[in-house]
Amino acid sequence: MNYPSLGQIAMAAGMMLFMLGLWGIITRKNILRIIISFTLLDAGINIVLVSIGFLRNRTAPIVDQALPATQTLEKAVDPVPQALVLTAIVIGLGITALMLAYALQLYRKTGSLDINKFNSLKW
Amino acid sequence: MVNPIYIVVALLGSAFLSGLSKQHSSAAASWLAYGALLFSVVVSATWLGAFIFNGIPAAEIFTAGVNPPFSINLRMGLEEAFLTLAINLAGMAGLSYLSRDFSIWGQKATTIFLVLIMSVNVVVMTRDLFNLFVFSEVGSIAMVGLIFTRRDTDGYSAGFKYLIAVSVISALLLLGIGFVYYNTGSLNVDTILSQSSLVNGSLAVALFLVLISLVLELKVFPVNGWALDVYQTVNPGIGSVISGVVGTGSLYVLYKMLPLGGALWYEIVLIVGLVTFVGSNFVAISQKNVNRLLGYSSVAQAGLLMVALGAAPLVGQHFLLIAGGVFLSQFLAKSGLFWLAGMINSADTAGWAVLRQKPVLLVLFGFFVLALAGFPPFPSFFGKWQLVIDLAHNGQFAVIAALLIGSLFEAVYLFRWLGEAIKLPVAEGLTLQTPLSRLWPVLLFGILLPVGGYLFSRLTPGFDGFLMVSVAFALALMLLDYLPAWIKNSLTIAGLLLYASLVYPLIEGDLIRVVFAVIFVGGGLLTLIAGYSVKGKRMGFFPFAILMYAGLIGLIEAQNLLQFLFAWELMTLGSYILIIRGKKSMLHALNYMLFSLGGAYMIMMGISLSVFGTQGLDLALMGTSYWPVWSVALLALGFLTKTAALGLHIWLPGAHAEAESDVSPMVSGILLKAGAFGLVLLFLAIGGEANSQQPLLYALGWLGALTALGGNLMAAFQEDAKKLLAYSSVANLGYILFAFAFMTHIGWIAGFTYSINHFLFKTLLFLAIGGVVLRTGTHNMYEMGGLIKRVPWSFITVLIGIITLAGIPPLSGFSGKWLFYHAVIAKGWYFQGTMVFFAGTIAFLYCFKLIYSIFLGQEKDHLRKVKEVPVWYIVPQVLLVLAIMVFSYRPDLILVPLGHTLAAANYFPTDPITWNGLTASTTAGYWNASQIMMVIGVMFVILLGWLLFMSRKAQKVKQFNIVFAAERPFRPETTHYSYNMFRHYHRAVGFLVAPVATRFWNGVDAVMHDVAHSAKKIYSGNGQTYIVHLLAYVVIIYLLMF
Repeated sequence: MNYPSLGQIAMAAGMMLFMLGLWGIITRKNILRIIISFTLLDAGINIVLVSIGFLRNRTAPIVDQALPATQTLEKAVDPVPQALVLTAIVIGLGITALMLAYALQLYRKTGSLDINKFNSLKW
Repeated sequence: MVNPIYIVVALLGSAFLSGLSKQHSSAAASWLAYGALLFSVVVSATWLGAFIFNGIPAAEIFTAGVNPPFSINLRMGLEEAFLTLAINLAGMAGLSYLSRDFSIWGQKATTIFLVLIMSVNVVVMTRDLFNLFVFSEVGSIAMVGLIFTRRDTDGYSAGFKYLIAVSVISALLLLGIGFVYYNTGSLNVDTILSQSSLVNGSLAVALFLVLISLVLELKVFPVNGWALDVYQTVNPGIGSVISGVVGTGSLYVLYKMLPLGGALWYEIVLIVGLVTFVGSNFVAISQKNVNRLLGYSSVAQAGLLMVALGAAPLVGQHFLLIAGGVFLSQFLAKSGLFWLAGMINSADTAGWAVLRQKPVLLVLFGFFVLALAGFPPFPSFFGKWQLVIDLAHNGQFAVIAALLIGSLFEAVYLFRWLGEAIKLPVAEGLTLQTPLSRLWPVLLFGILLPVGGYLFSRLTPGFDGFLMVSVAFALALMLLDYLPAWIKNSLTIAGLLLYASLVYPLIEGDLIRVVFAVIFVGGGLLTLIAGYSVKGKRMGFFPFAILMYAGLIGLIEAQNLLQFLFAWELMTLGSYILIIRGKKSMLHALNYMLFSLGGAYMIMMGISLSVFGTQGLDLALMGTSYWPVWSVALLALGFLTKTAALGLHIWLPGAHAEAESDVSPMVSGILLKAGAFGLVLLFLAIGGEANSQQPLLYALGWLGALTALGGNLMAAFQEDAKKLLAYSSVANLGYILFAFAFMTHIGWIAGFTYSINHFLFKTLLFLAIGGVVLRTGTHNMYEMGGLIKRVPWSFITVLIGIITLAGIPPLSGFSGKWLFYHAVIAKGWYFQGTMVFFAGTIAFLYCFKLIYSIFLGQEKDHLRKVKEVPVWYIVPQVLLVLAIMVFSYRPDLILVPLGHTLAAANYFPTDPITWNGLTASTTAGYWNASQIMMVIGVMFVILLGWLLFMSRKAQKVKQFNIVFAAERPFRPETTHYSYNMFRHYHRAVGFLVAPVATRFWNGVDAVMHDVAHSAKKIYSGNGQTYIVHLLAYVVIIYLLMF
């Protein structure tokens, strides 16, 4: 029997998280839960990205004594997705912080966090 | 050349510094911000200059000391230089505009603003997918940060919805980028492009995710509720940044990435853009909130640009002209409109009337509206034109039709809005906020519009820069608007004569054009002479009068279809402003504009069908196509909108009747001939006598006959003297259509005679009646009466006018009738001919009513002190009377050479009229105008003498030396003979003049508004619903593609 590789498992898990997050964003009514769903979605994408660069039996692309620069091509995983993920995490953090700031202000103004209450602007 | 990376450095650096600065050094920080933006503007501008003037190739900017794909690279090419210049300029203007708000919100706002501008610069220049993602996220965060500055629930909820939507979209983008990397091993756009031949299933899905999220970021209709809510709530200064700066970045990214998707994606973008353009403009029709309206309009314009993007493979080398022209117009105009909205601070479009406090701003508002609507001389006119022509060459007629329909929807709300600003009373308590920091951005962008228009006109194939001279003249007159009216009037007359003298050598020998040129120029002179009677400054009149006349002469001068349409639109624009100047003209002018534009778009559609399969733009191509019936019908209907054929006439009576006294003759006697001229060109282009469109022409003949009958009937039932004349114009243009539709030699001679006659008598009558209206202050005939002794000159000219109109010998109206009957007999259209003849007898009725009720009968108390009309009105009338006399006495002077011209082989070689001296004869009879005139002149003198002799002993009685036997009048006016004069006819045939057409168009209007209002309801206001819309849209497009 052929077991799925770590990369495939990560990819599947990431995709599931992504879908879960998306589902949460469109079904939850509480703004905080929507924000949490967004972070799930974000984490899912990051896992997918990492899994894209994953290569079996290789180490982290950090050049030090254990991994001389000359051996990176044979021994390290692809560093680009990792760099992407680092950046994406920072951006996700920024966005989450902004969302929370909005949630806080909405709660202060109206005492409610129900997304359905904020539809005075339309048409 | 300065490395463009320093744009990023300067903006980011000043952002950091202004973030660090203490409150007390905020002035220094804001100067630093201006400095950084100015630096960026200069860098972009020098690059742009180098690309345009030195033709250098696009530069690749490498970073991090390594070559791509191992590092991020930027590109600075012509497009990038142009767009970063636009973005940085908008940044600088926007910072100034927002400076007051920023001083309240604090230094943070400036920091965020600079980061936003910086990020869009990078988004435009980068060639790396992930870098693109990062900086568009930075831009979104900055954007949402700026939205945060509106500190109320609406602002917060709109911002939150925006944030969620943008996050979901960029999540899709990131996922797509990840899989693109997975499939290609690169993030560099150029590297991926070089592998595009390898697109397989999985890469196609990855690219789908990337491209669909770029499309969604453009806020496509209808999945854009989250963006519209933001437009509605934010400070308009920030709205202009979203629309102008961020929107520009998103569009350019799509342009950059679209080649990755291949041919199918171009089609998808074209369709998505088309749906957005039409849908967004449609729902905007029933929108009154200014900021939301601007949002709808921004989205629609982005849709238009997406159409241009999607059409890129079809338009080839014209792409930059098309996209550039449309982009520049919407960029400048939309920014300007947002800024104006911030100065006015009225949620409702009606509040814009306050703009009249600063006429400069009203003019700029007009510029912005016209630029969005695609009017010349603005860049979008040329962009849209070229887009339509190139689409037509590729046979994409459905796309063209959708574009034109969307444009018409757009015109509905744009011109309603402009009309409200020009005409509505200024609302209480509204004042304009025009500090210099907000004024200069609007002025700069407003001035750049015509400048850009000139540049784009130079790039458009087939355009002659000479046509722009008249526009420049009008703009110059606008600058001189503070001078007294008589100086500007003289300048206008001088300009008109100069233009005519320059054009004359071009058309010398082409008698058909010369006849119309004489009508346009001669009519222009005569009506402008009447304008000397106006005291004061008469602001906003002369620039548009010259535009209208320049447009009319431009029609004559036009060498090809582009120049023709350019002139046509100038004429429409000038006449629209002239018409809206009337006191109660707001709605009439809107009707006029919408019908005119509808007509222009039909002409455009007809042109598209005509140029398919050819490379040229020649005027002779009109109506000659693979689908001749369709193209001829569309072109003819377009021209007939201008001549107000029955069913399309409802705009005319109000527009002509409510216009100022000297404007009515301009738009009625002269302007309508533009439609007739168009028909002449069209009918000649399809082969004159040898045409193969007999069934269509037969239908047009019927339309002409019905118009003649309907117009005259409606004229007879009017109480308003100017409306009477206006309906009479409808009828007369019906005669002209009827005569031209014969497509025979004699029919055309009759048509020209009618055209000349109608010009002469209608200008004369409108001047005479207009003068009387000036003196009496009313249009209603039953409020006049007995004016013969007060305004004897007008009486005589009206008498001569109606004799000509009614076709009574000896004046030239009879020449027309004589020719007309012979044409009917030769053609055999007896039934229609009888109908037109019957219509002529109805003309007798209203002619009689006109002269009787105004000049004869009982004098009214309040009119006893009326003076003769101003001499400036009499002079052109006398000249017109002389012209009528000459044309009546020697019609051969024009008709004989015209006959020779028309007898040309490709026109109407069968010439049934033989001229023997002054006698014209056909197989059906003969006619000698001079003899008739002499005979009747002698009879007139004898009879007049006899009458005077017989009444030499007549006793003069005072007005009230009678009694109202058995009458009990309620109001003195209603005892006037003319009040409800033809009520007995109305009982008999009133059903014929039931306002069917008006009801029909009102119905169209109501249905449009209702449907548009219902369609808007998809914007429920719920943030989650918007996300569901987004996802559903993605799924639908996916299903469409795979």
